[in-house]
Amino acid sequence: MLDPYHDWNISYKPVFLAFIFALILTIAAYFIVVEHIFTSLSNIYIILGLGVVSALIQLIFFLHLGIEPKPRWNLMIFLFMVLVVFVVIGGSLWIMSNLDYNLMLNMEK
Amino acid sequence: MFGRLTLQAFKHDLIEYLAGISMIVAAVIIISLIMYHRRWKWLWKEWLTSLDHKKIGTMYVILSVIMLFKGLIDALMMRAQQALAVGDSMGYLTASHFQQIFTAHGVTMIFFVAMGLIFGLINLVLPLQIGARDVAFPFLNSLSFWLFAAGGMLILVSLVIGVFAGTGWSSYPPLAGLKYNPGVGVDYWLWSVQISGVGSLLSGINFLVTILKMRCPGMTLMKMPVFVWAVLVTMILVIFAFPVLTADVAMLTTDRLLDTRLFTSEFGGNPMMYINLFWAWGHPEVYILVLPAFGIYSEVVPVFSQKRLFGYATMVWALIAITFLSFIVWLHHFFTMGAGPNVNAFFGIMTMIIAVPTGVKVFNWLFTMFRGRVIFETPMLWFLAFIATFTIGGMTGVLMSIPGIDFQVHNSLFLIAHFHSTIIGGVVFGFFAGYYYWFPKFTGFKLNERLGRYAFWCWFIGFLFAFLPLYFLGLMGATRRLNHISVPEWHPPLILAGIGAFLIACGVVFQCLQLFLSIKERKENREPTGDPWNGRTLEWSTTSPPPFYNFAVIPEVHERDAFWAMKQSKAPKQKPHYEKFHMPKNSGLGVYIGALSFILAFGAIWYMYWLAIASALGIIACIIIRLYEKHTDYYVSVEEIEKIEGMKQKA
Amino acid sequence: MKDPTSHESYPDPHHDTYSNTVFGFWVYLLTDFMLFGALFATYAVLKNNTFGGPPAKDLFHLPFVFIETLILLLCSFFSGLGGASAHRKKKNRTIILFGLTFLAGVVFMVMEFHDFNRLIDSGNSWQRSGFLSAYFTLVGTHSLHVILGLLWIIVILLPVFWSGLTPVNIKRLSCLRIFWQFLNVVWVFIFSIVYLMGVN
Repeated sequence: MLDPYHDWNISYKPVFLAFIFALILTIAAYFIVVEHIFTSLSNIYIILGLGVVSALIQLIFFLHLGIEPKPRWNLMIFLFMVLVVFVVIGGSLWIMSNLDYNLMLNMEK
Repeated sequence: MFGRLTLQAFKHDLIEYLAGISMIVAAVIIISLIMYHRRWKWLWKEWLTSLDHKKIGTMYVILSVIMLFKGLIDALMMRAQQALAVGDSMGYLTASHFQQIFTAHGVTMIFFVAMGLIFGLINLVLPLQIGARDVAFPFLNSLSFWLFAAGGMLILVSLVIGVFAGTGWSSYPPLAGLKYNPGVGVDYWLWSVQISGVGSLLSGINFLVTILKMRCPGMTLMKMPVFVWAVLVTMILVIFAFPVLTADVAMLTTDRLLDTRLFTSEFGGNPMMYINLFWAWGHPEVYILVLPAFGIYSEVVPVFSQKRLFGYATMVWALIAITFLSFIVWLHHFFTMGAGPNVNAFFGIMTMIIAVPTGVKVFNWLFTMFRGRVIFETPMLWFLAFIATFTIGGMTGVLMSIPGIDFQVHNSLFLIAHFHSTIIGGVVFGFFAGYYYWFPKFTGFKLNERLGRYAFWCWFIGFLFAFLPLYFLGLMGATRRLNHISVPEWHPPLILAGIGAFLIACGVVFQCLQLFLSIKERKENREPTGDPWNGRTLEWSTTSPPPFYNFAVIPEVHERDAFWAMKQSKAPKQKPHYEKFHMPKNSGLGVYIGALSFILAFGAIWYMYWLAIASALGIIACIIIRLYEKHTDYYVSVEEIEKIEGMKQKA
Repeated sequence: MKDPTSHESYPDPHHDTYSNTVFGFWVYLLTDFMLFGALFATYAVLKNNTFGGPPAKDLFHLPFVFIETLILLLCSFFSGLGGASAHRKKKNRTIILFGLTFLAGVVFMVMEFHDFNRLIDSGNSWQRSGFLSAYFTLVGTHSLHVILGLLWIIVILLPVFWSGLTPVNIKRLSCLRIFWQFLNVVWVFIFSIVYLMGVN
């Protein structure tokens, strides 16, 4: 439900929904790891996948990302941030593992 | 109680004493003048606690100019040392002092001169260009300035109490870590960078929201002046790059204060991660410096060519492309530090690509001039010097983007010459162009043109003498940061470079003279129309200086170069209808938080933890006080508006 | 483009700073995401540098962290309801919901401290290795944010209690709600990447 003056979101429903879904996803991820349901390698993808979905649900239904009125500055800047985070984290991992290999920095660990 | 602060911290060598004493004497003179004229209250009420973006911008510029003097003196001292310490002579500076000088020179110039001048100019001009009365968060604006000032104070204080870092301006661990540099120098570096970094980040948020949310009616994104576009993309760079620096510096701080092992050479730390993150910030940072300068040129060139800017859309796309690309080139700052050919090749290619949109911009400016009726006044001269200087810098940058070549010239004087060409040619000359161009708007009188030309030629010729030899020296094998020259062939070019530095200093002297003379002759040089250059953008529609609220009636625009369109339009001028509006009240809390930040840093540096904690609590208390303040702004009444606007009509 | 909501305000038409402030706060949170991004990157690089110490598997108590995660999710939930209640002008409900957020947050912090102490007492403080330093820095920064969030709840609920749900208070409660929900999004990644993948 949106406030008539401001398009503020004053509805409780998305808050409840997001909570339930995030709860389910968290419990699922926990039990999948603890009960060793899948292999260690596939666990990584599953954990990440569940985490991303949970984060997305919270971003959209708690934080109203993408469902605000136009112009959607919140969404645009958020997407650019995600891109930069991927670049910085991914780039750093690539660079640092490259350095590791070339400089044998893992000798002393 | 005093942590590790002892009287030893006040002991220095002779030159340091002279520097410290002259600084204190200058401060005492200024304070005495204020006391003599009994202007404390005026200073506090009109300037220090002001939330007016024009006043804050002016304070940024003034403080940056003071820091510019310090940075220039550092440069002159280095040039002198390198001109003298050849062969048997060891020069006049000790090695440790020299290290502090080159470190302080870098930190001062990048964080406290370039950032300060650019953010100051943005503060002055941005709201006026978008038809707004102030920035989105005026209190945060004041806070940003005082955090900036606190950071600068830390560097100045390090000259007198203790030492500054001797690690180079990028302060790499493990040298900058606790084991190899347990003293206070690196801590001064950490805190001054961190505090001013927070200020910059807050400004980034502030200006971004201002541009996206506070443009006047009708000003869509593609109708904004290109300077505003440049500021917009710059702020996107700021908000995503500065947190990386914040994290990086914070981690080095925990390494030094809490004994974490993040960047240590033992215990499983990885010093290269600091370097990696530092440049992940550092490359966007140089674009943060230069893109607003590009924006300034995009304002100056059309006005002084009396022709519309060529290729508005491509200028905007070039800015966006540069913004995006600047996040994926950072490894080129450390090609030589062990990454393999794949990584080096990727980042090298990306670096080359980023030259393309920059080139598009240069050509667009030149095409703007083509078939224009160019007026060669000082702002235009600075633009032309930029073209020459920045092109050399840019091309040498593309040269070094090839990893194989970079392996030869990395950390040589070739690199030094490259980045000084781009920063001085791009950022500093850009600021000067903007300074001359917008000075009449904010003061009501023009700067003396003749002295401006003398200053210009001294700077330009001085720059060429100071830095062109360095390119050759770099190719001859000269490394950076040398306090002693053992190769006699390098001596003559270094003397030339010293002469160049001296000429630049003459340029600065001329600029100071120009300012004093122009102020003295301001009544003769008065500029009553508000539009001395036949400008094209909204700031020229106000008086010079503008009223504190900028616009009595928020303008409504319909096309680009909005003011130009208003001037051409034949529509009859209607009597404006005034309504009261809110303006922010002054606040001293920005000053207090800045001061407490300084004390917090000082306490942390000297291990006076009680002081640091007390200051931190004080900062939180100030924030809470600000949150609980009920009357943070006031209405400007219609009568007052009419009075001020009435005075305008009479003038 | 002029914000379609910015010409109106609640209730002072000349004084609407709601959309600017909330948007500015959102931008600040994005910078905070970037900060955590850099800390995550450091953790990812250093996570195997145990310097001969025990691996993550042996150090993390997953059931304990799982409970912490659920509690923090409650913070997100309560503050979300609280924010909506504030916009519906339900003062008492708002205070209760943010009060519950505060309680859940305190429980989270107590559990976090307990966990940190356990590690430190067993000789696994941040001084032991690069891995532990990166862990404490990342999770510690999150905890610091939580503590500031708790302080903020107190600071903001007092004016709500005294003066009711004024436009300024509603605006600040919205920012507070967004802050708590952001903290939970960050924690999702900490839980997944640090704890679940560490124990995997």
